[in-house]
Amino acid sequence: MVDEELLGTHRQELRRGTVVLACLLALRAPEYGYALLKRLGAAGIPSDANTIYPLLRRLEERGLLTSEWNTDDTRPRKFYRTSPAGSALADQLMSDMTDLTASLHALNGGAVE
Amino acid sequence: MTSLTDRYVAATLRGIPEKQRADVDRELRSSIADALEDHVANGEDRAGAEVAVLEELGDPTRLASGMTGRPLYLVGPELFPAYRYVLFLLLAIVVPIVGIVEAAVEIGSGAGIGSALLEGIGGALSVGVHLAFWVTLAFVIVERLDPATWRREDLKDLKVLMAPWKVENLPELPTSGAVTVGETVGEIVTAGISIGGLLYLRGWSWVTDASGQPIPLFDPALWNFWFPVVIALLGLQVAFHVVKLVVGRWTIGLAVVNAVLLAAFAILFAALALTGSLINPAFAAATWPGLDDGDGIAMVAVAVTSILVSGWEAISGFRRARQRPSTEMEFAS
Repeated sequence: MVDEELLGTHRQELRRGTVVLACLLALRAPEYGYALLKRLGAAGIPSDANTIYPLLRRLEERGLLTSEWNTDDTRPRKFYRTSPAGSALADQLMSDMTDLTASLHALNGGAVE
Repeated sequence: MTSLTDRYVAATLRGIPEKQRADVDRELRSSIADALEDHVANGEDRAGAEVAVLEELGDPTRLASGMTGRPLYLVGPELFPAYRYVLFLLLAIVVPIVGIVEAAVEIGSGAGIGSALLEGIGGALSVGVHLAFWVTLAFVIVERLDPATWRREDLKDLKVLMAPWKVENLPELPTSGAVTVGETVGEIVTAGISIGGLLYLRGWSWVTDASGQPIPLFDPALWNFWFPVVIALLGLQVAFHVVKLVVGRWTIGLAVVNAVLLAAFAILFAALALTGSLINPAFAAATWPGLDDGDGIAMVAVAVTSILVSGWEAISGFRRARQRPSTEMEFAS
């Protein structure tokens, strides 16, 4: 039985590296912060609000996301969308991720899938 | 909007630069409202849901620092080794020198040993606190500069400290000729204690006369000339150790200077002992008659010991000067 605390720590480490990629992929369809959070959770990538909200701002600052205020809804919401630069980065990271998964499977002694 | 959310948003905005505040304010309120709506839809009461949502968001200070990228530490892991190096090097060199100089100045102005010691310790402490504060402040500021700027163009001296690590940076093995900060600190502290001890023993003794006045161990007449010379020699040794640290390794030249300083020290001490002028005659009379005799066992032992110890130190200086690592010579040729 794996120690719960140990598992939690390492899972967090593993996810920390993929949360940027997850956001860039998900935001190819524009979304506001809370909805993105829900969507990531539903997709099996549970994230904390206090990780995602700052991350969105930093990615926007680096030009990987663009944002736009939408005031049509019940309340004003800031929608983020992956920029062309962010999309290119996501493609590269996604291909790296696939390679990485294949390499891990190989190390695990079995064929991929 | 209820007051808890207002307070949370206000606390977060405190850590956000002015021009981003309006945007962060609006987005954060909107996000909190979305989450709150979700919680209430799940059947929670509004007040409890608000607490839950805000606590999920966590410490507003952390949230703000995540948004701005401002660090939640004074000096981060990238700068820390350089910080520690600069701080310890400065403390090791400056603090003992200031302490000794301040004590010496106090002595020079005719003050007693006690007040000279206090002056020295006080001066050392105050310069140490100042150094630690200003060095830390400098690094805290550098830590907060835009990395893209300072790492490339500015702060050239720091860039040297931040240069990529190379094998040349490896410290030498302890037996080699390299001079370490640790041994230099030890040598300077030893010299400082010797000077302090001499000064202290001028006015204090564990032997007292009938009227309760201390009988100093060393002949008070020595303070007219020879002990100031001894203290000057010890001061020169401190300077020598600092120079040695700056040079970074023992060289033949340094070994010669070291030998001269040690020889002067040993010869002076041995001569004082063997001529019977080292120990206060009154002290000898009160404790061990014959202690001060130049040809007595005690003074011969003092002379022999000081010559042997200094001789050993002088020789080890030459040995370490020769022990350059072979790679060093290959690169030099």
